[in-house]
Amino acid sequence: MFGKKRVAIVGAGLTLFRRRLKETGKELSYEAAKMALDAAGMELRDMKSVVMGTAPDAFDGVHMKGEYLADGAGAYHKPYTRVFVGGGTGVFTPLAGWWHVASGQFDTCLVVAEEKMSSCYPHPQYAFTTIFDPILERPLGMNLIWIFALEMHRYMHKHNIKKEQIALVSVKNKRNALDHPCAQLAANITVEDVLSSEIMAWPVQRLDVSPTSDGAAALVLASEDVAKEVTDNPVWIDGVGWCIDSTLWTNRDLYYPDYVECAARMAYKMAGIKNPPKEIDVAEPYDPFDYKELHHMEGLLLCKKGEAPKLTAEGVTQRDGDLPINPSGGLLGVGNPIAAAGLMKVCEIFWQLRGEAGKRQIPGDPRTGLAQAWGDLMQYGSVIVLRR
Amino acid sequence: MSLEKITNPLHVRHWLGDMEADYIYTLGVAGEHFLEEIKENGRIMGAKCPRCNITYVPPKMYCEKCFAKLEKWVDIGKKGVVHTFTVATIDVDGKKLEKPVIYALIKFEGACGGLIHKIGETKPEKIKIGMKVEAVFKPSFERKASINDIAYFKPAE
Repeated sequence: MFGKKRVAIVGAGLTLFRRRLKETGKELSYEAAKMALDAAGMELRDMKSVVMGTAPDAFDGVHMKGEYLADGAGAYHKPYTRVFVGGGTGVFTPLAGWWHVASGQFDTCLVVAEEKMSSCYPHPQYAFTTIFDPILERPLGMNLIWIFALEMHRYMHKHNIKKEQIALVSVKNKRNALDHPCAQLAANITVEDVLSSEIMAWPVQRLDVSPTSDGAAALVLASEDVAKEVTDNPVWIDGVGWCIDSTLWTNRDLYYPDYVECAARMAYKMAGIKNPPKEIDVAEPYDPFDYKELHHMEGLLLCKKGEAPKLTAEGVTQRDGDLPINPSGGLLGVGNPIAAAGLMKVCEIFWQLRGEAGKRQIPGDPRTGLAQAWGDLMQYGSVIVLRR
Repeated sequence: MSLEKITNPLHVRHWLGDMEADYIYTLGVAGEHFLEEIKENGRIMGAKCPRCNITYVPPKMYCEKCFAKLEKWVDIGKKGVVHTFTVATIDVDGKKLEKPVIYALIKFEGACGGLIHKIGETKPEKIKIGMKVEAVFKPSFERKASINDIAYFKPAE
């Protein structure tokens, strides 16, 4: 592809993730954006464009939430865009930032993702009840957990996977999160704890699920020229991919995320990756539920279909394993303020590749990493490949 | 940054507000045909794409793969297969449901897609992926052209 400019990440910022933070959504956006600018050694005036990612207006309870949050994201008097692809938003936001810079139109882009789910009272679950088809599904009283339960059950059935195998993901991620200063639900738990937690909609139990949260994350993107001026170790966005499947989620088999594979293939082709398990050193697939980490590892072609539980049981996906998965602690451990959670994953890969992940740092001098998010009504995949 | 460990949200400084708005959703061209058939004739209809040779259930006005307009309707019968299911035990507030509700994705032979619906006349422990089920319609005088005109699906031979 000719004419496309190389784009680097030169700074990242992340707020605490908590069930309820005192700050407004604007203030959270400001905290993360300011932190990313400070990390890059840059000022707001250096940012030539701003991209904001944030999920349904119903969470914050402000229609046109993109406009409401704009000043907190540093968009005053700047070219500004808000993007939203459900749960896929967090990784899609830097993809949108990427094309701002890759097109040559802007030298820099401030990328911010925010979610303040606690505004939705008494629980953000209520916002989720209106995401379904108003004619065919809402009259049945659908709720979000139930459709995950349907998908999880299909995945387990297809590959004969046991709950015990899936619970290992929750155990790993919550433990990884103990080393994350922003984490909301870090814990040392056992498989037994997961299996004895409250059943919500079988096979989904309380500890299979990530928490709702408030939080924000941000990145500073720069063209090659600017990146080389401001830092000695830029992290390059070498692959981007995104894809949506049928809006009728009943049209899919559910055991395998085709749309994630489609997005991953697009990103791998751009990054020149032929053998993902060999060439990817660390990955942050989307894990709002424990089985989704496994589902997404398979969709990302990091292993064969049905093989992810085996790799997990063998310890391959631990921080010191051959293919560390969610070293941050993921959504299960760090928390799940939807858009901010996806961008948190990109921040983690950025820090891992720069050797700045502190106690979470994986060994082996990683050079190539990947983050992925998933969303809309279970059919949207967004993938980013980063290289040092 | 602030860090508040508060379990009752009314204990933070706040303003209570709402985003009140009510909606009337049109059934749509395909949706109206689909639900009218259920109401008037107790039939589950799909829409067939002649070019892709796919029958969509629930029906669509257009083929999402080739963009052909769909005008051929096919009766796909009342029987389907449980593709996956869940047993919901708590409601949206996290409160225990009086009786667990079984929700399933039901697929129909020769059709692309399927319906989400409740399973009745059986117990959660008796449901299996792959089992045959059959639509149970409400009596015709109770039907309103709603997906709930199908009361539930029950196990079938």
